[in-house]
This record gives sequence, C-alpha cells and structure tokens, in this order.
Amino acid sequence: MNRYACAAYALVVSLSGAQAAEEWGIDHEAIARVDAKVVDLLCEVTGDCIDQCGEGKRQLGLLFDDGRLVPVVKNFDIFAGATVDLISFCGKRITADGLMISNPKMPMFALQFKREAPDGKWSRANWFIKEWSKANPGKPGAAWYKHDATVLDVIAKDGVYGIPGLKPEDE
Amino acid sequence: MRLKSIAGAIVFTGASFFPAFGMTATPERIRVTGEIIDTWCYVTEIMYALGTAHHKCAVWCAIGGIPVSIKGDDDKVYMVLKFEGDDTSVSNPKVLTIQSHHVTVDGDLYVRDGVNYLIVDAVADDKGIINLTHEEYGIQPFGE
Repeated sequence: MNRYACAAYALVVSLSGAQAAEEWGIDHEAIARVDAKVVDLLCEVTGDCIDQCGEGKRQLGLLFDDGRLVPVVKNFDIFAGATVDLISFCGKRITADGLMISNPKMPMFALQFKREAPDGKWSRANWFIKEWSKANPGKPGAAWYKHDATVLDVIAKDGVYGIPGLKPEDE
Repeated sequence: MRLKSIAGAIVFTGASFFPAFGMTATPERIRVTGEIIDTWCYVTEIMYALGTAHHKCAVWCAIGGIPVSIKGDDDKVYMVLKFEGDDTSVSNPKVLTIQSHHVTVDGDLYVRDGVNYLIVDAVADDKGIINLTHEEYGIQPFGE
C-alpha cells in the first residue's frame, strides 16, 4: 500500500469514527469487540445493590446476554482502572472494544474504546486521566501517578517498598 | 395441587435456572491467607508484581482504580469487592494502606465465570509486608 493509499485509509477510518483495539502482547489476550451491559459487580454477584452502580466507588463488569460476567479491570490510561470510563453507562448496553484476557487465573477485560450500543459515539477509554487532570490543574496527567497527592502521602509514609525506613541503597 | 406442582418445579429447576439469568449464588464462608496485590499486574504478568519490589506500583494501581485482590497462599486470586463493611472497591482508602501486606481474612466467597469474588468481613491477621522481593527484582516497573 503506497503512502497515498495509507493516507486515504487513515482518513476514511478517522471520518467513519471506527475504532480498533490494539494488542498489548499479554498472555491469553484476544482483541474483542463485544456488546454487553455495564453492571456493578458487587450487586450482580451478591445482590448488594445501590443506585447508579455505586456512582464510581464500586468495580464494574460486563454482563453478556448469556449470563456470563467479566470484570473490567483496566482502561487505556497508565496504572488506571475503567470505572471512570464506564460509570455513565451503568445499566446500559455498550459496545466495548479492547482485550478479552482469558487467563485461567482470572478472566478479565481491558477496555480501550467504548460507546453506547448500538450506535453511540466512540470514545477512547482514557477518562481517568481526563478527570484527574480536571481535579489537578497544572499537573501533568500523563504522569499522574508521580504527582497524585494520595500516592505521595502513602509513599512518604511507608516508603517505596512499603516498609518504613527501608530505602533503596543508592539513596 | 397445581400450585404445589408449580412451586415444586421452580424449586427443582432453580439450581440450573438462576445462574443462567444472573441470579446471585450462595456464598461459601472462607478464610484466605495471602498477599494483597494489584490484580492487573499480577494476573497479566506484565511485570513482576509481588512484594516489596512491586509495592509502589501496587499503590499506583489501587489509587488508579484497578481492582485489588488477594493472591492466596493457595495460588488462587481473590478479587476484593467489599472490605470490612465498606463497599468501596475503587481506591478504598483502608485497602491502600495495606498493599503488599500478608494478611489472613475471613469472608464470603462467590465464584462466578472463573472469578473468585471475595467479601472481606474481617482481617484476622496482618503480618505487614514480608515478601522482600526488591533485592532480586529492584523497583518495578521503572527501577526508581
């Protein structure tokens, strides 16, 4: 494919709004685009339910039409989960684009793009950093984990190894 | 008589009918001993994800909202959905403070579609961090 064909393809993809998950090289991963309902895991598993899937304080999952439940463990941001991306879809069907990780230790889904099914607007699953940046103006969202106040407090108290007083040798 | 038959049929078929439609299962009372871990890094093996070497990353991931689990001494992964009565499983402030700790907890276990979901009622023992992995693995993932 020459450069003009590549450019044309990229233009078509961008104009159509099509999204496509990428491989991350993780064992047991498979690129997956699935339709499922966003549910509060605690509610779905135990019957302990509250309004709006806990409004962001509870872990969320994908409930498939056949009753299968898969936790959504990761979004597209570094070191971040997917609750911020999914909470507005609580109880709704979405099309989730990402990685189905069928690890025998524990199956899970890593979300890269999402939209309300069947034809909502696609958005990348990167809302954790967007929200963090709104709450932390002037700080670099891409390195949120180095600048987050809670992170800094925990590490200052317990150290990088989690044991007060135990420090890297070169410090 | 007809009502009794219907009721009997519901009771008889309930065990297979309800799970298919997402009804909740009966939990198993359980005691789990193991390490508090970041679910993503440990399960995917995207990096070395146990003990002191991974502690800082485990804190990042927990604050970032990735589920926290217990890697049991039985090598099973137990994803924590509730902790000592608190249903906050996204960046739970109490759980943040015991990342990488070796704990014994009592709670209810629900197994569904290959995932062990754990409702922790009480921490019976907390030995702190005893898995000293940093000498072999440094600081994961960036070495600082």
